[in-house]
Amino acid sequence: MGSTILLAASGLTPVTADSPNAERIEDLYWVLCAIAGLVLLSVAVPLVLFVFRYRSRGRDRTIEGPQIHGATRLELAWTLVPIGLLVIALAFTFYKLPGITLEAQAGERELEIRVEGRQFYWQYEYPNGAIAIDKLRAPANTLVKLVITAPDSDVQHSYWVPGLGGKFDAIPGETNDTSFKAKVGVYKGQCAEFCGTQHAAMLAEIEVIPVDEFDSWLEQEAEAQEAGDSDLGEEEFLGACTKCHGPQGEGLVGPGLSSASVSDAENVAQIVRNGRGRMPAVGEEWDDRQMDALTSYLRKRFAEEGQSGG
Amino acid sequence: MAARTEPPPYPVPWTQGRVAGWVATVDHKRIGVLYIITSLVFFLAGGVMALLMRTQLATPDTDFITRDSYNQLFTMHGTTMIFLVVVPIFAGFANYLVPLMIGARDMAFPRLNALSYWLFLLGGIVLLGSFFAEEGAARSGWTAYPPFSAYASGNGQDLWIVGLHILSISSLTGAINFIATIHNMRTAGMSWMRLPLFVWAIEIYAALLVIVLPALTAGLTMLLLDRTGWTNFFIPDEGGSSLLYQHVFWFFGHPEVYVMILPAMGIISEVIPVFSRKPIFGYKAIAFSTVAIGFYSLLVWGHHMFTVGLPFGLQIWFMLASLTIAVPTGVKIFNWIATTWRGNLIFDTAMLWALGFIGVFTIGGLSGIFLAIFPFDWQVHDTYFIVAHLHYVLFGGSMFGIFAGLYYWWPKMFGRRLGERLGKWHFWLTLVGFNLAFFPQHFLGLLGMPRRVYTYRDDDLWTAYNLVSTAGSYVMGLGILAFVANVVWSRKHGERVGHDPWLADTLEWYATSPPPPHNFDKVPYVTSARPLRDLRRRMAEQDS
Ligand code: HEC
Ligand SMILES: [Cu+2]
Ligand SMILES: [Cu+2]
Repeated sequence: MGSTILLAASGLTPVTADSPNAERIEDLYWVLCAIAGLVLLSVAVPLVLFVFRYRSRGRDRTIEGPQIHGATRLELAWTLVPIGLLVIALAFTFYKLPGITLEAQAGERELEIRVEGRQFYWQYEYPNGAIAIDKLRAPANTLVKLVITAPDSDVQHSYWVPGLGGKFDAIPGETNDTSFKAKVGVYKGQCAEFCGTQHAAMLAEIEVIPVDEFDSWLEQEAEAQEAGDSDLGEEEFLGACTKCHGPQGEGLVGPGLSSASVSDAENVAQIVRNGRGRMPAVGEEWDDRQMDALTSYLRKRFAEEGQSGG
Repeated sequence: MAARTEPPPYPVPWTQGRVAGWVATVDHKRIGVLYIITSLVFFLAGGVMALLMRTQLATPDTDFITRDSYNQLFTMHGTTMIFLVVVPIFAGFANYLVPLMIGARDMAFPRLNALSYWLFLLGGIVLLGSFFAEEGAARSGWTAYPPFSAYASGNGQDLWIVGLHILSISSLTGAINFIATIHNMRTAGMSWMRLPLFVWAIEIYAALLVIVLPALTAGLTMLLLDRTGWTNFFIPDEGGSSLLYQHVFWFFGHPEVYVMILPAMGIISEVIPVFSRKPIFGYKAIAFSTVAIGFYSLLVWGHHMFTVGLPFGLQIWFMLASLTIAVPTGVKIFNWIATTWRGNLIFDTAMLWALGFIGVFTIGGLSGIFLAIFPFDWQVHDTYFIVAHLHYVLFGGSMFGIFAGLYYWWPKMFGRRLGERLGKWHFWLTLVGFNLAFFPQHFLGLLGMPRRVYTYRDDDLWTAYNLVSTAGSYVMGLGILAFVANVVWSRKHGERVGHDPWLADTLEWYATSPPPPHNFDKVPYVTSARPLRDLRRRMAEQDS
């Protein structure tokens, strides 16, 4: 019982904020709620009161109320008091604003990650060149700056992980940035700007892990990607292909994939780079390392399935 | 047989036939009725689209309709409700009422007026017909942001643009006509400060349309050209700017919001005093606030673009300007409430809708304040919080106002009242259903659910809120069914009324119900904003 009440109550607030900027936006939310509540009361109370108090009770339509045409003082009051409330809201906004646009302090470590929105996946690039798809790993309690954009040939998206702050649009030809600083945990989000058939499937996730764990992971990951024995191929398949070709590659928006259709690496690379028919050029700007990771993964995966399924 | 001879039957000109009388009419009242009925039919179509979407969203991972159908539906639902329902139905009200309210015989340009209506019908057919185009209707949202809308395959998007072009011409000619009529055809004594507040609202409605529709037309023309491949205004891959489109679109789009709410506020300003048996409180304040809202609405378009990365200074400017609009809006609300103070409040259905309007519209206005604070908007922009907000102002605002107006003026238009019993069912079902459907959507937005998604992740609260919302939408559907039943019922059984059933204030109630083609045999000299009440009092004095 208590827990259901708690659950219901928690549903009336934004997602729990876990980054200083998101926390300050949540503070703003509560101040705005207070002001809005006050105004709502000042409308609802007289409205309900008058409706009840001055209802006709069978009086004839011909009976008129007093012929009052207005009152300048009242007009002034309900012009000036709302202005006052708005000034309070604004003052609080400006007070919180610097903390919402998180900046690195002098000497503070800042990790910059490039985020590209693409139909229908997120591609992240770490400073050392390592690539990740949809799921981002980030160090705890470190300022992480996201530079958000989209390839020129793509459409508009919007990157949003509500627990870590506001959303910013990924616009072809423009860059936006935002930062967060979070505790260890997993934060979910998704694309917020309609971008096509599978917009709803364009999910994002940020996994925040302890700093040293992150540092060693990142180094290994970059090396593995260089050497071609990372999980990048699988990530690419899950992020970039399954949304159209089905979670198992069994077919959804696009046709099912089979060992026949993916065994020729040249051909797959061709299709992924240039698109074909209704399939967009999902990997137009992928480099060879990325493409090789994908094609070798696909070959392996569908060859195995061919055997086990046969 | 005596020499009594029948006169030869007088040849009725073909233009007065049962059908031709409507097709060939240039009478502002018939055109107004055509507008209103057509918009209501489109309203039912848009409502069915909404119910299909809510059914799809009732639970996560539903396979009720396909992704692409869903995307077409949300695009066409928004476009229909805005361009085929709210904007034209106000043109219908204005057509019917403005000449009557200002004591004129017709609009300034009756033929242009007929053209406006027929273009509206044509635009509607093109838009809704686009469902049958190759690959179906447009599916890039009513905002049609490029580059997506520029790349979208099929012809739906092209027909969408052409349909909007036709509708823009229709609205533009209509708006010019209203302005010409209001400025030139007021009867003797009808000064600006005696103009009914609904006419004030239409004046600003028309002025805004004249100012902003050309921007929409320009933007859509560029988009259409981009789609043909001849130009690249909005295509970043070829050096264009997709942000440019957003600026152009919202320069039109935000004032459009006020185009859709000011006339509803005008209706409320007519209904509340009549059913409170009092004069409107603060006539001048309400009239000037209409002008102020219209003016400021031209300066705030950027609040739809807080997440695109506008320079900080601009975001602050758009926040300040947007908040400013809250002040004249509040002035209206408090004046309406003050009007009911010490009145003799009669709760006919029209009044219920007007009072309901004050309640729900206030909620929509307040959530608008949240959105104007740009850091908060970074969180809720493009989420269900926006969907909730816009339905509180466009359904809770515009549609509640429209229903108030329909119940109020129906006897004038058709000579019979709509039924009170069905009217009350209509009101209460819609009010309850509306709040059930849209209030939980605020929380969905806060919890992270974006708009324009055909499905969502399975999370206890998301699922619960969505289910409630869908149930609410069905209750609203029942309310609308009660309205349709009421319209049908009233054709035969509605109480016949005389020229002035509500003991109202304004000149349209001086004419018979419905009025003759020329409206008035003579118009009384207007000495105040309430000429009809003056007349009733003069007659009462003569009697005694
Ligand atoms: C936006 C949806 C979409 C995405 C994302 C997508 N595809 Fe496709 N794919 C399609 C469609 C649609 C076709 C059918 C194209 C045609 O021939 O008209 C297709 C065709 C193919 C084919 C040819 C299949 C055959 O039987 O000839 C291959 C191979 C392929 N895709 C691989 C991929 C890979 C690998 C990815 C991920 C990097 C991917 N696709 C991502 C929609 C998509
Ligand atoms: Cu998207
Ligand atoms: Cu706006």
